[in-house]
Amino acid sequence: MPMQTLDQIAKVIRSKNAGPFCLTLDVLFDKPADYRRVRDAQVITREKMAALYRRPLDQVQVYNHESALAMKVSLVRWTPAGSLTDSDIYGAQQHVLLYKLPVP
Amino acid sequence: MKPELRIFAASGQLGYGIPEDAFRRGVAAGPHVIGADLGSIDPGPYCLGSGNMVVGGEALRRDIRMVLEAHKETGAPLLMGSAGTAGRRSQLDAVLEVVESVARERSLRFRLAVIPSDIPKDIIERRLDRGEVKPCGVVPALTKEELARANGVVAQMGVEPFQRALDMGAEVIVAGRSCDTSMFAAVPRMRGYDTGLAMHMAKLIECASSCADPGGRDAAMGVIGDGWFSVESMDPKQRCTPVSVAAHSLYEQSDPFLLDEPGGTIDLTGSKYEQLDERRVRVTGSLWRPTPYHVKIEGARLTGHRFVSMCGIRDPRMIAELDSVQAETRRIIERTFKDSIAAQEYSLIFRNYGKNAVLGPVEPDPTLTASHEIFVLIDVVGKTEAIAKSVCGVAKQFFLHLRYTGILCTSGNVAHPFSPDVMPAGAVYEFNVYHLLPVDDPCELFPIEMRQVG
Repeated sequence: MPMQTLDQIAKVIRSKNAGPFCLTLDVLFDKPADYRRVRDAQVITREKMAALYRRPLDQVQVYNHESALAMKVSLVRWTPAGSLTDSDIYGAQQHVLLYKLPVP
Repeated sequence: MKPELRIFAASGQLGYGIPEDAFRRGVAAGPHVIGADLGSIDPGPYCLGSGNMVVGGEALRRDIRMVLEAHKETGAPLLMGSAGTAGRRSQLDAVLEVVESVARERSLRFRLAVIPSDIPKDIIERRLDRGEVKPCGVVPALTKEELARANGVVAQMGVEPFQRALDMGAEVIVAGRSCDTSMFAAVPRMRGYDTGLAMHMAKLIECASSCADPGGRDAAMGVIGDGWFSVESMDPKQRCTPVSVAAHSLYEQSDPFLLDEPGGTIDLTGSKYEQLDERRVRVTGSLWRPTPYHVKIEGARLTGHRFVSMCGIRDPRMIAELDSVQAETRRIIERTFKDSIAAQEYSLIFRNYGKNAVLGPVEPDPTLTASHEIFVLIDVVGKTEAIAKSVCGVAKQFFLHLRYTGILCTSGNVAHPFSPDVMPAGAVYEFNVYHLLPVDDPCELFPIEMRQVG
């Protein structure tokens, strides 16, 4: 069986601004077992997220939220919302890089 | 035992069309407070910098008519915050004009409180001199020079100015920039309900039914009692579950457990979510941890003026040579204007949709193989409108007609969907103030104007 990817397991994968200078990515599950599987496999770590989103490690935070069956990644935006080179004012399309993360 | 208090969240953003059925159900449930958010910082710096509104017309008028009539029907105070998106005075006044006109049309009478949120720059300068203004997150320290460039600065008010207006007899409040929570937490907090719970409830219902499953824009109800609160969507198809509610608690927040607000932090570490019945969730255990009182100040400065040209490309030969045609166009622009427009007076960006326009620098594979069509948005921002128009026009023309390696079509490289093919896209702003300002009195920056309507 080919390895599953995060988009086959999560219920919600989304991105949004948390203020104009910060981007936050949420991965939500509907089954505790799925949440624990992804957490325990360390699919989403600061190091991996920093590499994927090309941010320095100190600009990336990862949170695991058991009661919400959620994982959150918060990172400093590469350019503030609405600045000249910004391409996504709401930060709503930056989540897609998470889809194909392999989940053992 | 405190009686239950019902807080009705009419809309996550008034002026975009309140869904009617859920709204009616909420009004019929007899709320004690009606709250509505009219704004956000999310649409970017334009509204804040320009003072213009993006919502308006019949959509705003209809929504305001609905909430004012709900106020009349229920007698519940109506609290509206972040009027006109960014909450600047010009936007507040535009919303007030609609409120007063609807009131005349429907013969409504009420005591109205108006709470502007514009902060005079000299107040901020004095605090800067005392070193009291702190960046909010990863933002450069504020300087007087940068402050001077801001086109108006607003501050997000907490619950206190709303509470004061209610104490002064207000039945309807229209406020400038407000924390999302203020309209929904003001009354529960002034009536002595637990602060942590009131703030958490406010955070959940300020986006209406977003905290439900599947989630939507329909009105929502928060009910607070002794040591608990519950949330419910007013749309019967929307169901709140412990997971949907816990998940919405972390929406748009950089930290899912600690949410900073004026005067304190909402601590959700110990929050418990339980299914009360099919469609409602009860929450306990959310705490309030007091901190020194700060308000967030927001400002934006003018960057320039934008002109754009929209270009569709279907020719695979042009798509293959896109990078080189754009590089050559850029060189021609630099040569053409080298004696007339300084390089720092304009920016030229080719936004290549179908390639890497959305993810930009983090696109893992910026190749052109994704699509048989590419959309190129030529994006020019100039120091003046005239500069932007000139640069965009010349860029468009060369991009359209440059000869590239392997060209077969010598009559034009792109398909323009519109005439004119170079279009003004308005003034461009950028955030330059996003800082925390300490205050001794939470109301000191927010004067309250009382008016009798009708």
